[in-house]
Amino acid sequence: MGSGSGGASSGAASSGGAGSGGGPAPAGTVVVDTAFQLKTADPGRMFEPTGLLIDRALYATLLTFTGDDVTKPVPDLAESYTASADGKVFTFKLRKDAIFSDGTPVTPADVMFSLNRVKNVKGNPSFLMDGITVTSPDPGTVVLTSATPNPAIPFIVPNSALGILNSKAVKAAGGSDAVGADKSDTAEAALNGKSEGAGPYVLDSYSTTTQVVMTANPKYWGTPGKYQKIIVRNVQANVQKLNVLKGQSQIAVDLSPAQAEGLSSSVQTINGASPNVFFLFTNNSSAVSKVTSNKDFQEAVRFGVDYDGLVQLAGTGAVQASGIIPTMFLGALPTGTGVKRDVEKAKAALARSGLGSPTVTLAYPSDIQVNGLNFGDLAARVQANLKDVGITVNLAPASVQTALETYRGGKEEMGLWEWGPDYPDPSDYLNFLPGQVVGKRANWLAGQAPELEALGKKAAATIDNDTRKTQYTEIQKMMNTAGPIIPLIQPAQILVASTSVKNVKANALWLVALSELG
Amino acid sequence: MSIPEIPVEVADPAGSTLSSGLPADPVADRRRSSSPRKQPLAVIGVVVVAGWVMIAIFAGVIAPSGPLDQKFVQLKAPSAQHLLGTDELGRDVLSRILFGARVSLPQAVLLVFGAMLFGSAVGALAGFFGGWVDALGMRLADVVFAFPGIILAMAVAAALGPQLRNAVLAVIVVSWPAYARLMRGLVLSARGSQYVTASRLLGASSLRAMWVDIRPNVLGPIAVMAALDVGNAVLLLSGLSFLGLGAQPPTAEWGAMVAAGAQNFDRWWIGLFPGLAILTVVLAFNFIGDSLRDALDPRTARAVRS
Amino acid sequence: MSSVRNDSATIPVRAGRRRAPRGDLWLFVAKRLGIGLILILGATLVSFVLTQLVPGDPAAANLGQQAVEDPEAVAAFRHKYGLDRSLPVQFFTYIGNVLHGDLGLSQQSHRPVGTDLAEYVPATFELAIFAIALSLLVGVSFGVLAAVTRDRWPDQVLRVVSLAGVSMPTFWIALMAFYLFFFKWGLLPGGGRLEPTETPPAHITGLYTVDAALHGQWSLCFSAAKHVVLPGLVLATYTIGLLLRFTRASVLEILGNDYVRSARAKGLPERTVVIRHVLRPALVSIITVAGVAFGSLLSGAVLVENIYSWPGLGQYAYLSAVNLDLPAIMGVSLVVAVVYIAMNLLVDVLYGVIDPRIRLS
Repeated sequence: MGSGSGGASSGAASSGGAGSGGGPAPAGTVVVDTAFQLKTADPGRMFEPTGLLIDRALYATLLTFTGDDVTKPVPDLAESYTASADGKVFTFKLRKDAIFSDGTPVTPADVMFSLNRVKNVKGNPSFLMDGITVTSPDPGTVVLTSATPNPAIPFIVPNSALGILNSKAVKAAGGSDAVGADKSDTAEAALNGKSEGAGPYVLDSYSTTTQVVMTANPKYWGTPGKYQKIIVRNVQANVQKLNVLKGQSQIAVDLSPAQAEGLSSSVQTINGASPNVFFLFTNNSSAVSKVTSNKDFQEAVRFGVDYDGLVQLAGTGAVQASGIIPTMFLGALPTGTGVKRDVEKAKAALARSGLGSPTVTLAYPSDIQVNGLNFGDLAARVQANLKDVGITVNLAPASVQTALETYRGGKEEMGLWEWGPDYPDPSDYLNFLPGQVVGKRANWLAGQAPELEALGKKAAATIDNDTRKTQYTEIQKMMNTAGPIIPLIQPAQILVASTSVKNVKANALWLVALSELG
Repeated sequence: MSIPEIPVEVADPAGSTLSSGLPADPVADRRRSSSPRKQPLAVIGVVVVAGWVMIAIFAGVIAPSGPLDQKFVQLKAPSAQHLLGTDELGRDVLSRILFGARVSLPQAVLLVFGAMLFGSAVGALAGFFGGWVDALGMRLADVVFAFPGIILAMAVAAALGPQLRNAVLAVIVVSWPAYARLMRGLVLSARGSQYVTASRLLGASSLRAMWVDIRPNVLGPIAVMAALDVGNAVLLLSGLSFLGLGAQPPTAEWGAMVAAGAQNFDRWWIGLFPGLAILTVVLAFNFIGDSLRDALDPRTARAVRS
Repeated sequence: MSSVRNDSATIPVRAGRRRAPRGDLWLFVAKRLGIGLILILGATLVSFVLTQLVPGDPAAANLGQQAVEDPEAVAAFRHKYGLDRSLPVQFFTYIGNVLHGDLGLSQQSHRPVGTDLAEYVPATFELAIFAIALSLLVGVSFGVLAAVTRDRWPDQVLRVVSLAGVSMPTFWIALMAFYLFFFKWGLLPGGGRLEPTETPPAHITGLYTVDAALHGQWSLCFSAAKHVVLPGLVLATYTIGLLLRFTRASVLEILGNDYVRSARAKGLPERTVVIRHVLRPALVSIITVAGVAFGSLLSGAVLVENIYSWPGLGQYAYLSAVNLDLPAIMGVSLVVAVVYIAMNLLVDVLYGVIDPRIRLS
């Protein structure tokens, strides 16, 4: 890996002026509408969808992804990298010609500063750097060393939150990467006014409620974006549709399948599955529930749910989550290999359980939508499905704040939740195993599925991608036969764009790479 | 009196208090009679309200399908098969509106009842005991009045968690002061009247005096105010549901249905019809209220407005 | 009646309506200011208590799903927003900071709440001023029309129209207007304060129309005005209905007065009678209602701004409420309380100016 120069043309460094060698000089404006989920533009504190979208254009990272392919990290600031056999040491060779928007070169010191700052600011993305130390043996090399084997590192560093900052400028603005930066770092306000990155765009104006304007970085060292100006506006999904139809915006990113239905041919629709996975869990602790902890009951639920019906409900573009790992990631189960509804089998399992006609409570957050889908609508469908089997489900909607507390506390008898990827690597989904983050929420504790857990440990330490693929496939197949976690669907992720804009690709991490629009 | 009373209740469209508080025609107070022929709006109002009550009761019989049945083709425009079309999940909009009456009306009545109970209790205590009880109760009411209703209700609903039950509570929190004010005024004037003074002289305890002598004189105006508030309660509750802080999907609630219409508003029928349902209910109550204010005897009319 | 009204000194609408013997205007203003300050303090306390009742944890609401699992990140968050201190300390620190002009840091925008409010309040004011001006114009003129044609058909029609105005669900009419005027007919812009490609005028008042005009940027001013029209109209539906009914009632009442009858008896033309002898006194009470209606527009703004992507106080209030952004909720409450109380003070003073017969106490 790490051979080619992922689209970044060389030989532009010397010019240093406007519109470097690669493509034609940027011109024109593209307007992108999205319902803002934006708290900050400071990469060190940012982990919200709109922040990821924006920071991807403002900040270069060590590696990155192009288009919609998140299975293959490609060079960005690092022209190549190597991994040690034990999966603990990753060595990145920095390219020499990369410069920040103020014209100063990108150095290993900047990389160390940026990554350590993320860790020590203790903001939302700091978990990405857990257990990772950054060093630089020579000017041109950066080494990331993980305390435990961490094959996901090449998939983690492309995250916009790990964008490389101009350390001098950020320090001058009050930035700090030292331990205690959570209190001493005061650079956020400055970074919300002016970007300090080496990305293809620079920040022009910023508001968390109206719009963010970015203009082409005249000193960008790679292939510049096609558009001189990118405006990202905060617009509700319904209005996005009208705007894009009326030509008032070029891209709408939040349309639900229902909204995207029957659009005219004046726009293009990029229709794919979202990396978010809706899943159901039944609490595995008999202290919480005698019913849901019953293995046969869990099987009855697994075969009682009408997956095809849920996919149909979620609309065009949605797919069944064959396993817990979403389709676009390494190790995902092929489409069509997931659990199929089998009411007879479910009834038989329920009969075996000896629970009679049990009644259970299904909790879910009722006030949030994921990809335009209400949890309540899915829950109502699950309720109807399980009624066919002989299970009575009481719906317990709650606000996401309240529901999260009971969910995290492992107190929900049955829950309907969603998991969005932290980084596009299957290892993120080890969180669903017994004793891990999500496993514990279902009271699926360490030691309750030894074989599965051992396999998880092995997968966590494997580097070779082919081997990983096999291991993760195995893990998901085991999860699909037993256990309290039942993956349901991946909703549709729909991009609607004016036909004038080319190369619009949905990305699981940052929705769409704005600098790649053609 | 050259200056007409300005009802406190006008304070707010979505409402720190519910009553729309439109002023009565001061001259008509003396002239108009309450005979139905001269009050056509009142008749229309009563008929519409009665109609909705019947719909709420018999929704199960008259609705073509259940409110949650997702069994039709999605997003179909109104046709002979679905008079008001289908929504984004393939539910019959007409059925959902009819069943929606079962959600909106009882919740609004409950809400008004709660606000009335709490507000009247505070007002009665304040009016009867005076002193610090009065000061505390009325200053609390002032503070609540210093917020635009829906902003406070929104904060309360968000704090308690978005559920219809909490939205009802939130609206009670912002709407009780109107009742407290009215009750306090009524108690004060009743207390000043001779027969109460007389009964106290005869040794009746204060609580007993309040219950036996004052109650009959204040119940009427309070009940009128409450009855007329139902329409505005529907308005406020549906507003919270529209914002996602009241009834949650998949509940068939009118405000939430308009919100769904807003999500798909080139499919105009999803949002138009539930909104019309809200409008007819609220308008009907305002028709009745407006006519009633005209027709009521001046004393009550003014008390309602103060 | 008097006993009912005695407590009214601090009640927004009714304040100042007492006709007391001669009093000193300044003393009155000072007294009202004092009461206003106490009310603001009370409002702050109420919103503070409210934010403490929140069952959800602000840290959980504002941190990412991974960060919230990390006790260190949670501790850092709680420390940053002062949530690790005792409640009375938090409250008094807050009050102290507010007196220094510091409203705290918003958890959703990561900016000072004061900065946020300075940006959003003018946006809402621009809408509200337009709406109230329109309501006064339409409401008062049609109200007078209704009064002079009492019980004839124009009055009957206007009665139904004004009742419909106050019965209309704001969010619904906003949606329908949006659908028709923007989507269907394309007559007016759909949302926002300007076209996305336009740059806001340099900040003077924060009202884009005014600022653009002050800078002589006429096309920008026109664009800003075009954006105000639709949400402004929607916001005005309620207040138009309200003012119409109210004007009608006031005018009718005054028309019945002796001095009006004598003016008529003197043979003055009806127009002169209505304008000079009726409208002027009626204006007093109309202004009072308009003042209150202005405050009430803030409520409507929550629903209208939501649909028209209008970056105002209503949107900010809504977002802070659903994100449990406590400092922002407190800030919004404070602004709203101040506006309400200031509005009523203004109304009281105007009241005395317009009708000198009325003495302030």
